[in-house]
Amino acid sequence: MYNSFELNESVRRALDRYSQSLIKIAFAYLKNMADAEEVAQDVFLAYLQKRPVFENNEHEKAWLIRTTINKSKNMLKAGWFRSRNPVPENLSYLPREENEVLQAVLALDKKYRIPIHLHYYEGYSIQEIADILQAKPATVGTWLARGRMLLKEKIGGAEDEAFSI
Amino acid sequence: MKRSVYKSAMSHLKTREDFNEATYQKLMREMEKSEQNGPVDQTQYKEMAKMEKAKKKTLTGWTVGVAACAVLAVGIFAINQNGATKDSVASPTVSPSATAQPSQVVSEKPPIMGKVRVNIDGVITEVSADGKSFKVGDLWVEITDQTKLGSNEPTATAPSEELLQKEFKVGNIVSGFTSQDVASGRVTADVIYNNMAPAKEEAPIKGKAMVNIDGVISEVSADGKSFKVGDLWVTVTPDTAMGIDGPTAAEPSDELLQKEFKVGNIVSGYTSEDVGTGKVNATRIYNNMAPQQ
Repeated sequence: MYNSFELNESVRRALDRYSQSLIKIAFAYLKNMADAEEVAQDVFLAYLQKRPVFENNEHEKAWLIRTTINKSKNMLKAGWFRSRNPVPENLSYLPREENEVLQAVLALDKKYRIPIHLHYYEGYSIQEIADILQAKPATVGTWLARGRMLLKEKIGGAEDEAFSI
Repeated sequence: MKRSVYKSAMSHLKTREDFNEATYQKLMREMEKSEQNGPVDQTQYKEMAKMEKAKKKTLTGWTVGVAACAVLAVGIFAINQNGATKDSVASPTVSPSATAQPSQVVSEKPPIMGKVRVNIDGVITEVSADGKSFKVGDLWVEITDQTKLGSNEPTATAPSEELLQKEFKVGNIVSGFTSQDVASGRVTADVIYNNMAPAKEEAPIKGKAMVNIDGVISEVSADGKSFKVGDLWVTVTPDTAMGIDGPTAAEPSDELLQKEFKVGNIVSGYTSEDVGTGKVNATRIYNNMAPQQ
């Protein structure tokens, strides 16, 4: 258990370490930066309120990612979110190639999008992704393979560039 | 395509520059709120305790209510049971010749009530030669040494000669009870409550006197002691009472009750004899008055 000071410190440390990761995961899910930031804030609020105890930093990060995914799913299910017609996020400031790749990934079904994000952005292995998403590693492997195939169809790339995205 | 393109793109995504600081401030505000809510939580705790107390009171109220309902239900059930017992016993009183269930009646101890069990009730139409059996309706009732005479109920009055005559006669009104099957047509009486002669017809005491001699005298006999009213000859004898002797009757006057019977007088009286014979002796003469001028 934390005292207030310890909690403050742990929250501040988590914010510094993981905020960008959580925002990006939420963005991969919601495709909107404002919503992604709101979800990330809610995740840290849950961290503060629930005061979970972690075995290590990886455990802490995994909990935060899991919570971010859950909150993103909840927002997607929310009536107000589904009924609105958001303007697509303006990614024109990104270099053309990055923009293309990002748009291609965001266009994928979320069951492929999230494993790809966790694998290519966070660097998680199939096993770790399986743990976070509470799925079988084989299933995660299939999602990744199909996601890659779909991206390759859209973006193209050299035959030998397995991780071209 | 380079393998870091996606990661690079994600890394270049613009987020709020002050996201961390803003989030941290927000979290601290939430934390302060929760700390300020400490005393409120105490209040909430008290409210919850109050609610639980109220719930307990409600529960107690319901329990008491349900218990009261249960007691009432049991009471009503018990009363109904008693009512059913009464009905089973009282039913024979309604119809003496009905097919009562003797076994049921006998097995149940008669409750102390204003009623007694009666299944022999009616007017004697026949009496046996020895006088120990009589017929009521279709039922022959035999009187034995075991037959009790009179009611032995705690509230019963002592039997009088008038209400419980020793001799059973045709026309007597009799009531009693037998534990045997009255449908069999012949039973032995367990108890005879009443055996009384029918009330004799007496002249009713009314505001009116009985009158069967009434009219205007059309003829008078030579001796002046008989007169004719309509087709009826009425003779006044020394036994004929004169005037009205009822408790509310006025004193007879010479005007209304003249001593001499004359043709044209209005006369009224009574005879116990048959007026159909055309000639009777007057039992009483109420009025004998001259017609008004």
